[in-house]
Amino acid sequence: MNQRVYKEAKNSLVSAPVAALLSLLVPGLGQIMARRIQRGLLLAGSMISLIGLTIWRIRIIGRLEEGFRDILVKALSRNPLFVGFSLLALLGIWIWIIVDAARQTDKKKQYGNAIFALILLVFFAVGWQISQIDLVRLTRDANEAWTPLSKILWPWDAAVTRETESLEASAKLLVDSEGEIPPIPEKRPGEPYILVEPRSGKLSSLDENNKVIPGTELSIKGENFEPDTHTGIWWSDAVGNEFQPRQEGRYLSVTTDDTGSFELKMIMPYRLVPPSARGPQYHEVIARQVSEVGPLLPSDPLLLTIELIIETIFMGMMATIFGIILSVPVSFLAARNLMSGSWVTMAIYYFTRTILNIVRAIEPLIWALIAVVWVGLGPFAGIVALTIHSVAALGKLYSESIESINPGPIEAIQATGATKLQTIMFAVVPQMIPPFVSFTIYRWDINVRMSTVIGMVGGGGIGFLLVQYIRLLEYRSAGIAVWFIALTVAILDYVSAEIRNRFV
Amino acid sequence: MSPLSCFEGIMLEVKNLTKVYPDGTKALKNVSFTVEDGEFLVIIGLSGSGKSTLLRCINRLIDPTEGKIILDGQDITAADNRELRLIRRKIGMIFQHFNLVDRSSVLTNVLSGRLGYLNPWRSVLHKFPGSTRKEAIQALRKVGIEDQAHKRADELSGGQRQRVGIARALMQEPAMILADEPVASLDPVLAHTILGYLEKMNRESGISVLCSLHYLDLVQRYASKVIGLKDGVIVYRGTREDIRSMTDQQFKEIYGEEAERVSAGTLSSAENSRGEAAP
Repeated sequence: MNQRVYKEAKNSLVSAPVAALLSLLVPGLGQIMARRIQRGLLLAGSMISLIGLTIWRIRIIGRLEEGFRDILVKALSRNPLFVGFSLLALLGIWIWIIVDAARQTDKKKQYGNAIFALILLVFFAVGWQISQIDLVRLTRDANEAWTPLSKILWPWDAAVTRETESLEASAKLLVDSEGEIPPIPEKRPGEPYILVEPRSGKLSSLDENNKVIPGTELSIKGENFEPDTHTGIWWSDAVGNEFQPRQEGRYLSVTTDDTGSFELKMIMPYRLVPPSARGPQYHEVIARQVSEVGPLLPSDPLLLTIELIIETIFMGMMATIFGIILSVPVSFLAARNLMSGSWVTMAIYYFTRTILNIVRAIEPLIWALIAVVWVGLGPFAGIVALTIHSVAALGKLYSESIESINPGPIEAIQATGATKLQTIMFAVVPQMIPPFVSFTIYRWDINVRMSTVIGMVGGGGIGFLLVQYIRLLEYRSAGIAVWFIALTVAILDYVSAEIRNRFV
Repeated sequence: MSPLSCFEGIMLEVKNLTKVYPDGTKALKNVSFTVEDGEFLVIIGLSGSGKSTLLRCINRLIDPTEGKIILDGQDITAADNRELRLIRRKIGMIFQHFNLVDRSSVLTNVLSGRLGYLNPWRSVLHKFPGSTRKEAIQALRKVGIEDQAHKRADELSGGQRQRVGIARALMQEPAMILADEPVASLDPVLAHTILGYLEKMNRESGISVLCSLHYLDLVQRYASKVIGLKDGVIVYRGTREDIRSMTDQQFKEIYGEEAERVSAGTLSSAENSRGEAAP
C-alpha cells in the first residue's frame, strides 16, 4: 500500500515515446527518466554486462579470424546454439526494455518483472558457456572413469603381497661395437637356460626426425623353465641397468609350454649408451619367471598408509591441543562481556575480533602453503597451519560461549563472600565446560579431516601419499589411502558425537 | 521505642542512598531506612522501581553512587575488597531465578555458600572439610530436600531449586538475608512454602530478612514492616498493623494498577504465575 502511494508521488519526467526513444539509444535511460531509477540502472547494468560478456565469448569462439563479420560467421558455425541464442535474446531484451520504458511512464502499468527472468536466462547461458559445461563428455567418458574408480573402490588386491622367488637365465650380446662375440652360455642340467641368436647386433635408434630405426631382430629360445608359466623378458644394458623392453606398447613376455620351453622373437630395444661404458659393449637378455611364495604379507602401500594415517591423526590432535592452549587466553580478549570495561579493553576486543576473523577466513590449505615456506615440508608445517586456523576458530567459539554464560550464578557466588578465583571456579567454569568440550571435540574432528588433505600441499600426513599415488596412476594404492581416510573420519565422527552427547 | 533499643537493635541502616547508572538512569534517589534485629522488612514496588538495585547495593553487587550503608555498625560502602567479602559472608542472598549453578550438584551449590569461610586455595579444588559437608546436608534437611543432594541442580523443580538457594544462604550463617523477589517465579502454594522457610529462619534464628514481594496477601501475611518504592523513591512506610488494615485500593495507589492478590485473584492470575514458574 505504502509503495503504491510512493510510486504515485513521482510522475514521469518524459512522455512514453520519448522514454522509448531514450531506451533505444541507451537501454534503461527511458526508465530512469520515468523516475524508475533503480529499475533503469538495473536494466542498463544487466544489458551492458551481457553485451560485453557475449562479445567476449563470441570472440573466443571465433578466434583466429579477423574482422567482425568473419569472427561472427565462424562463431556461428562453431557453436550455433549459444551464439544464436544469446544474440537473439539480447535483441529481444533490448526491444523489451524499449517497450518497458514506454510503459513505465504510465503509473498504472508499472509492473512486469518477466524481463528480469529473461535476463537471468541469458546470464545462465553465458555461464554455461564460460564454465565449459559438457554433458556429452560427462556421459560419454563415464566408462573411462570406471577403471580407476573400481580400483579405488576395491583396492584390497594391492593391500597384501607375498615374497617372490625368481627363476631366471641370461645371455650376453655384443652391441653396436667391435669386439669378441660372447660365447654360447653353458647348459647345466636342471637349470634354466636361454640361447639368443644372433649374439651381436644393433640397438634400435632414432633418426633426425625422431623416427625409430629398428635394431636387429633376435630370436630367443629358453629351456628348463617352469612349465605353463608367465615369463618376462628383461634387458640389462652395458652398466647393468635393468628394464623391461616393450614391443608394440606391451611388455615383452611369453608363456612357457608344458616342457618348460619357449621361443620368442624381439627387436633390440632403443637405449642410449651410457657415456661411462668403454670398450666393447655387452648387453644382456634375461628371461625371468617370478613366483609368489610364503604367507600373505601386508604390502608396502598398506604399511605406508597405516603409518601416515597415524601421523595424520596425531597431526590433528597436536594442532587441536596447541589450538586450545593458545585460544583460551585469546577467547577472553575476544569476549565482549569481559572486555566492556573501558575503551582500552574495547579496543583490544575489536582488534582481537578482527584478527580472528581474518585468520579464520583464510583456509587451512593456504596457511599450510605459508607454513611449508616457513618451517619446510612435513607434518610440522601441517600442524602449524591447523593450529593457526584452530586458534582463530576456537577463539571465536570460546569467546561466544563466554559471552553467553548466565551472570546469575556469578552474582550468587559473589554474594557469599567468595574471592574472584572461587567465583570463577564455582560459577564460571561449570558453565564453560559443556560448550568447551563440545567445541574442542568438534575442532579435533575438523582438524583430523583437514590434515588428510593438508598433505596435498606438502603439510605431511596421508594427503601427500594420496596425491602421489594418484599422480603415479597407482589407483589401487590410492584406493587404500582413500579407504583409510574414510574409515578414520567415520570413526572419529562417531566418537566425537558420542563424547559430546556424554558431556553436554 | 527508646533511643537505646533503637541504637542497639539496628541490623542495617541505609542513609541517603542514591544510585545513578552509567547510562544516566537514576535507580535510587536518596533512600533511607533501617532494618531492626529480627525484622521481616518487605519492599514493595513495580518492576523497575529500584527494588533489585536497592538489595544489590546492600551487599555491593552494585556499587552505590552516594549514601551510606551500615550493617551491624560497619560501613559497607567504605569497605575494601577483603572487608567486603567478610561482610558479604554475613548477608545471605536469595534470587528470583535461584541463580544456582545448573551443572553442579545440589550439594556443591549448597557448599558454595560456605566459600567465604574456607581457605580460598583448597576450596578452589572443590575440597571441603567433612564437617562442612555434614552442615550442608543439615541445611538441606532444614528445607526438606536432603534426599536430592546428589542430583544435578537443573534436575530439580522450581520450588526445590529455591530451597537449594535458601540452604546455600543458610550455609553462610547469615545475620541477614536479602531476598530479591524469591517467589516471583513460583506458583502461589510454593510461594507460601518458601516464605514459610524464611519466616522460620527469621523467628527461630533471629535472622533479619529484607525481601521484595509482589503480592499484597503475601506482604500482609509475612511482613513486620513495609516500605514502598516508586521510581527509586520511598513513597510508603508502614508497620505490621498498617499493612494488615490496608485495602486493595491503597495497595494499588502505592503500587500502580498492576498489583494483585494471589489468593483473592482469579484462577487465570494463579495460572499466570504458575506459567512463570518455569525458569
